[in-house]
Amino acid sequence: MRNTKRSPLVTIIILIVVLVVLAVLPQLTSEYITYVAVLAMLYAVLTGSYDILTGYTGPLTFCHGAFYGIGAYTSALLTLKAGLPFWAAFPLSGVMVFVFAVIIGYPGLRLKGHYFAVTSFFFAHFMYLVILNSIGLTNGPMGLGGIKPPEGFLGINFAGLKASYYLIFIYGIIVITGLWLFIRSGIGKLLVTIRENEELSEAIGVNTAFYKVLAFSVGAGVAGLTGSLFAHFFRLLHPTTFAWMTSEMVVIMSLVGGLGTLIGPIIGAGIVTLILELMRFAPELRLITWSVALIAVLLIEPKGLMGLIRRLQPGGRK
Amino acid sequence: MSAILEVKKLRKAFGGVVAVDDNTFAVERGTRLGIIGPNGAGKTTTFNMIAGFYKPTSGTIEFEGRRISGLKPHRISQLGIGRTFQNVRAFRELTVYDHVMAGALAHELHYRPTAKQVEEVEHILQWSRLAEHRDTTVKNLTLAAQRQIELATALATRPKVLLLDELMAGLTFVEIDQMLDLLRLINQEMGITLIVVEHVMKAIMALCQRIIVLSYGKIIAEGSPQEISTNQTVIEAYLGKETAYA
Repeated sequence: MRNTKRSPLVTIIILIVVLVVLAVLPQLTSEYITYVAVLAMLYAVLTGSYDILTGYTGPLTFCHGAFYGIGAYTSALLTLKAGLPFWAAFPLSGVMVFVFAVIIGYPGLRLKGHYFAVTSFFFAHFMYLVILNSIGLTNGPMGLGGIKPPEGFLGINFAGLKASYYLIFIYGIIVITGLWLFIRSGIGKLLVTIRENEELSEAIGVNTAFYKVLAFSVGAGVAGLTGSLFAHFFRLLHPTTFAWMTSEMVVIMSLVGGLGTLIGPIIGAGIVTLILELMRFAPELRLITWSVALIAVLLIEPKGLMGLIRRLQPGGRK
Repeated sequence: MSAILEVKKLRKAFGGVVAVDDNTFAVERGTRLGIIGPNGAGKTTTFNMIAGFYKPTSGTIEFEGRRISGLKPHRISQLGIGRTFQNVRAFRELTVYDHVMAGALAHELHYRPTAKQVEEVEHILQWSRLAEHRDTTVKNLTLAAQRQIELATALATRPKVLLLDELMAGLTFVEIDQMLDLLRLINQEMGITLIVVEHVMKAIMALCQRIIVLSYGKIIAEGSPQEISTNQTVIEAYLGKETAYA
């Protein structure tokens, strides 16, 4: 009975198609579509990193958008106020969000199930309020402007749309490959045992408390890095970008794509971003449409798009 | 022979209910010990304290001369005490091979399983008759197979002592016989000390060299299977006092 194993062929084909389309996109399409693609790629990395904790390790969280925001503001402030170059602020913001997540996760992850989910939700909202009200630092609701693009090198100028598009494209490939190697490692295998049965995992010698904090912080660190890129690509930050809607969007994208598959949430991010953009003509319908879409996904195939693909494969489970 | 596990005046109270009442016993290295007793006698509570899932109210547990009471379950597992659970627990979405490999990796983490780990896991799969199911998802297998997998995974952590909590419950007679063969093999070939909680009397009498009987949290008898099966106190605990009806 090999049939419940995922066939790698489908995944590889999807990957190649997506990569080719993304690689040629800015050459063939308008600036507007390029911007949308950047947003989709940033969300793809964000949901991919979210999958490390919620998809592979188990605990549901609603605060990934907050880490994204902390990364964005940290990087912006390090360049604006401390005068650091982007290439120093970028890794630093990742490290800082990682450390921040350890501090939050160590006590927080002692809570089980829904309790942790609710705590993470309030944490995200708390961070939003801090960003909104620390006017002296973040400029609050007026937004933080004047952020510089990444410094160019080898004659590449990241102020231009195409160059920064490819910067984010390459960043996405590197990070997602990194995440993939992480979940395939011995540690990744232990993380899955925590999701499947925490007590048994502990009984076979897995330090579940440590690995949950690790998964949480690795995911958060990647969100921080992604936030930094967001800040220096769009060059204007506003607290509402990182309000609870963003955290929730990450959850929805992951569910649409299929939690615990890595590729699923990444594709989900692309699809949801696309749908949201297509719905721009009717903003009042946006929320309703994707609420309906989410309920439909959960009813028809709770394992998301990847679950659907696996089911449709010849010999797939019924 | 020396004692591998020593339990001294071990006590666990849940509020006012004393589940385990100042019990003292020792387990010799390489032996097979059975723990029996009516429902609620404190057998599983004792196991949970040895494995670190419950903190004892008082008393100590020593493993190879080192105090382990109060340590986290994963630390105790790392030291060499493996366990299975009363109600079957499994990583349901994993394949059998990955499930057993998780035990090996949890004990000794590598980026990729080493050749030695792969060989060991294959060996355990052969032993526990799981080789033909190696690529099956665990949730698709029978209860008996899932118990074998839980046992195999515990073995992959290379324990010195195995705590087996009602491993035979719900198995057919044939499956019980197979399990008994496997347990003897584990004990004799691998030298693993076994502590077994079991309700299936035939199995425990056939397997264990020494048996401890618990009733209402207290040890009421201790001895060889023959001694236990003829012990008056034990019979009373299970069947009630014999009363003469005139």
